[in-house]
Amino acid sequence: MNIINPAHDPQDVTRTLFQDFSTWMTVSFYVVAITAIAVFAYGVWMQIAKYRRGAPDRGWKMLGHRFMTMLKEVFSQRTVRRRDKPAGHAHALIFFGFVLLFIGTSIITLDYDITGPLLGLNFWHGSFYLWFSLVLDFAGLALIAGLLFMMYRRGWLRPPKLDYARPDRNPDEPDYNRSQYRIEDWAFLWTLVIIALTGFVLAAARMVWLHADPLVWDYRWWSPVATVLAYAFKGVGLTADGGEILRLYTWWFHGILALAFIAVIPYTKAMHMLTAAGSLMFRDPLAAQRLPTVPEEAVQVGYEKVTDFSWKHLLNLDACTKCGRCHEACPAATVGLPLSPRDLVLSLREFANESQWPKLLGGDPSKQVVHGDGVNQIRPETLWACRTCMACVEICPVGIEHVPMIVQMRRHLVEEGEMDPLLQGTLQNIQKKGNSFGENKRKRARWAKDLDFEIKDARKEPVDMLWFVGDYASFDPRNQKVSQRFARILTEAGVDFGILHDGEQNAGNDVRRVGEEGLYEMLAENNIEALNGASFQSIITTDPHSYNTIRNEYPDFGARFAIEHYSSLLDRLIAQGRLSFPKTLNYRVTYHDPCHLGRFNRGFDAPRNIIRALGLDLVEMQRSGDNSFCCGAGGGRIWQADPVGVEKPSENRMHEAAQIEGLEVFVVACPKDVTMFEDALKTAGYEGRFVVKELIELVYEALGHEKREREAADVA
Amino acid sequence: MKILVPIKQVATLDEDFELRDDGRDVDPDYFDKDLNEWDEYSVEEALLIKEASSSDVEVIVVTVGPDDADEALRKCLAKGADRAVRVWDDALEESDSLAIARVLARVAEKESPDMVFAGTQSSDAAYSSTGVALAAFLDWPHAAVVSKLDYAVGADKAVFHRELEGGLLEEGEIQCPCVLTIQLGINAPRYASLRGIKQAKSKQLDELSLDDLGLSASDVGAQGSASRVRRVFVPEKGQAELIGGTAAEQAERLARIIKEMRGM
Repeated sequence: MNIINPAHDPQDVTRTLFQDFSTWMTVSFYVVAITAIAVFAYGVWMQIAKYRRGAPDRGWKMLGHRFMTMLKEVFSQRTVRRRDKPAGHAHALIFFGFVLLFIGTSIITLDYDITGPLLGLNFWHGSFYLWFSLVLDFAGLALIAGLLFMMYRRGWLRPPKLDYARPDRNPDEPDYNRSQYRIEDWAFLWTLVIIALTGFVLAAARMVWLHADPLVWDYRWWSPVATVLAYAFKGVGLTADGGEILRLYTWWFHGILALAFIAVIPYTKAMHMLTAAGSLMFRDPLAAQRLPTVPEEAVQVGYEKVTDFSWKHLLNLDACTKCGRCHEACPAATVGLPLSPRDLVLSLREFANESQWPKLLGGDPSKQVVHGDGVNQIRPETLWACRTCMACVEICPVGIEHVPMIVQMRRHLVEEGEMDPLLQGTLQNIQKKGNSFGENKRKRARWAKDLDFEIKDARKEPVDMLWFVGDYASFDPRNQKVSQRFARILTEAGVDFGILHDGEQNAGNDVRRVGEEGLYEMLAENNIEALNGASFQSIITTDPHSYNTIRNEYPDFGARFAIEHYSSLLDRLIAQGRLSFPKTLNYRVTYHDPCHLGRFNRGFDAPRNIIRALGLDLVEMQRSGDNSFCCGAGGGRIWQADPVGVEKPSENRMHEAAQIEGLEVFVVACPKDVTMFEDALKTAGYEGRFVVKELIELVYEALGHEKREREAADVA
Repeated sequence: MKILVPIKQVATLDEDFELRDDGRDVDPDYFDKDLNEWDEYSVEEALLIKEASSSDVEVIVVTVGPDDADEALRKCLAKGADRAVRVWDDALEESDSLAIARVLARVAEKESPDMVFAGTQSSDAAYSSTGVALAAFLDWPHAAVVSKLDYAVGADKAVFHRELEGGLLEEGEIQCPCVLTIQLGINAPRYASLRGIKQAKSKQLDELSLDDLGLSASDVGAQGSASRVRRVFVPEKGQAELIGGTAAEQAERLARIIKEMRGM
C-alpha cells in the first residue's frame, strides 16, 4: 500500500518549519533556544563539578555492563512499578511519551539544522514523516494521560508517602517546612501538561489554518488526536485566518515553555531524568551487604564533610525523586523515630547544594560539616535510629545507597567517640572478650555441655561442616535451647559437623554497621585466622548476621568461604530424605523474613519450603519477602535502648501478625528475631494469643523429639 | 595551661575466679584489665575544658604501673589527651595509695599543671584516697566527689558541686591550682575507637623511673606505704531464695518459710 498520494511528491509531504516566519522571528527563536541550552549546559556542568569534589568510588569498573543494566532498568521501568503499580504505569506513559517526543524533536533538529544544511541530506518527509507524526501524536497522548493520573494521585488520592511529613524535625523548626517541594511537584506536572496540550493545540491550529492545502489536510489522520481537535476548533467556528493567528501565538508559547523546561532541568526535580539514570548505572548491587573498607593509612574515617562523600553518593542525593517508597518501608520512620531515609537524602542534597553551588546560586562554602543541629544538617539521633535493614536501598527506584551513607556518617561519630553509653559498653565488651554479652570467652560453647553427645572441635579434627554459631545463639539462654536442638537435628541427619568453640568471636556484622570499623577489622581478622586454622568443607550458620558478613564482607579481607544459612541446608536434607517427619504439624503460622537472610542474601524460598514440608498452614503477612519489616535489632540497635513511649518496630510487626486470623506461631529464622519478638509479643499484648518460634524448633518438634523428651521426663 | 589527669589501669573480675597463692589478691589469670571507670569521667572533664577553650590547653594523663598500663594510657590518648606519662619500677609493687600519691606528686611538681583531675576512686581497690593524698603532698586545696564543675581556663577559682549523703549537693568554690576528684555522671565520656587507639601509638608516651623523679625505692612499695593488705576473701553467702510459681504457690511457700523460721 502506498500511503503517499501518487499525485504528491513525497518531498512535499512534510511540515514546513518556521512557516511564514519573518527572519527576525526565526533569529529570535534561535537566540532563545541557544540560551536555553547554555543554561542547561551550565547547570549540568555545575552539578558534575559538585560530584567531582566528592571522594573516589569503586564504581567505574565494567562500564559497558553497567550501562546495559541501567538501560534495562530504565526502559523496563521495573523499579518504578515496584510496590506502586498505578504510579509505575503512569510514569511509564510519561517516560515513553517524553522520550519519544524528545527523540522526535531531535530528529527534526538533525534534519533541519545538521544533515540538511551540512550534507544536503533531508529525510523528514514522505512516509517517514507520516509514521513519525503518528507515533508522536500517540506519544503526546500518553504523556498527557500519565501526567493527568499523577495529578489525580497527588490531588485526590494523596498517598501518605507523598505528604513530606518529617519525623526528624519538629514543625516549629526552620527546615521542617517542605511546601516548596510541593509547589515544585505541581509546577513540574503542570509545565509538562501545558507543553503537551499546547503541542496539540498548535498542531490542530496549523491544520485549520492550512486545511485547504491537500499536502496537509489529506494526511491529517496521521495525527489523529490533533485532527480531532482541529475538527473541534472548526466546529466552534475557527476560520483559516483564526487558525493562523492561534498557531502563531501557541507556537511561541509552546516553544518558549518547552525551551524554558529544558533550561531548568538541572536545577529542578526534572534533573532526575539524568541523575536517576546515572545513579542506576553506578549502583552497587551489594551496597548494603558489603560496606566500604577503610584503607589502613587513612587519617580520616567516615563522612564528616560533604566532600568526604563519594561522588556516587553525591550523585545519589540528586537522583532522589521524593517518591517516598523508602519513607514507607523504613522501620524507624514507620514508628515515628527521628529518621526517614527520604528526608535524610533530601537534607543532604540541600546541604550539598548550599555548600557546593557557586555563590551566584546561593552557595556558601563555609558550610561543609554535615553533622550537627543546624538547617539541613544531620543529627546523631537520626543516624543512630537506623537499623541498617536495607528496606530503603531495596526499594529505591533510582538506586540510592542510604545504608552505606548512614554507616559512613556513623563512622565519623564513632571516631569522635559520640554514641550511646550502652553501646559503648557493648563495644568495649566485644573489644575485650570477643562477644557482645561481656561473657568470658571460655563460656562460648557452654550450651553444648548439656547435650548427650560431644560436638567436634573443628580446630582439632576435620569436619564436613563448620557451624559458625554467633553470639546470640551461643550466650543468650533462650537461643541456647535452639542451638541445642539444631545440634540434635544435624546429628540425626548424619551431618558431620563441628564448631570453633572458644575460637569463634562475634562475626562483626553489626559492629561494622554501628560504624566501628577498627573493631570490625579486628574481629574479621581473628575469625578468619580461626577459620583458616580449622579443617572443613563449608560453613553453616544459624545466624543471618554472621552469614552476611562472612559471605559478603570477609572476601574483602582475603577470605572466601563457602557458607550457607541453616535453612538451605535443612531444605536440602529434607529433599534428600535425610530428615523425615513422623509428626505432621498443623499450626497456622506466618513467617518473618530476617533482613540479613531475605533482603540481604535473597534467602526467601528455603525457609518456606521447610515450612511447607512440615505441613504447616503458612499465611503471609502483608510485608513479607523483600518487603519484610525489620525487627529493629539491626545495625547495633539491639545493644541500645529504644526510646520509651515510642512504638518499637518489633511491636509494630506483632500488630501486623495479629491481624492473621487464627495465627498460632510466628516463625522466625534468626536468633535476634527470637529475642526481639518474644519481648514484643509481651509488650504489644499478644502473649497467649500466639507464640514466637525459631524454625529449628518446629523442625525439631516434627521430628517427634519433643514428645520423646516429655516421656523421658515423665519416666524420670 | 596544663591539666594533669592521673589514671589507673584496674582489674575487672570474671564471674568465676581464684585467689593468688598468698591469698592477698586475685590470681591474675582471672581478671581483665581496663581503664578505671571514674577515670573515663576525669579525662572527659579535662577534654571538655580543652575543647571549650580558645587558648591552648594540654591534657596530660599519668599512671603508675607496668608496661601493660600503656593500654589504658593509649585509650586516653585516643580520646584526645595530648601526651602520657607512665612511671614504673619493680620497687613500686606493693605500694598503697599513699605511696602512689607520693609518686604522682613528683610528676605534678615536674609538670606544674594548673589543675589536677583524679577519679574519685578506683573500681578495684576503692580506697578513694589517692587523689586526696596527692593534694596533701602538693599542699594544694582539694575537693572530692565532684559532680559538676564550672571552671574557665586561667581562672583562679573553680565552682563545683559535690555529692553528699541523702541526695544533697554541696556547691563550693576552690582556689586554683587544686586537685579535684571526679565523680561518675559528671559528663558523658566519649568512646575510644579501636582505630583511634591504634593511631594513638604515634602520640608521646614518656616512661619515667623513680630516679627520674628523685625518689628512692624506700619511698615506695611496702616500705613507703602506710597500709598493707593482709588477705582478700569471699565472705560466706547469706541465704536467699527466689520464690517462683503462681501467686498462690508463692504465698504458700512464703508461709511455710515463716513457719519454719518461727519454729512452728
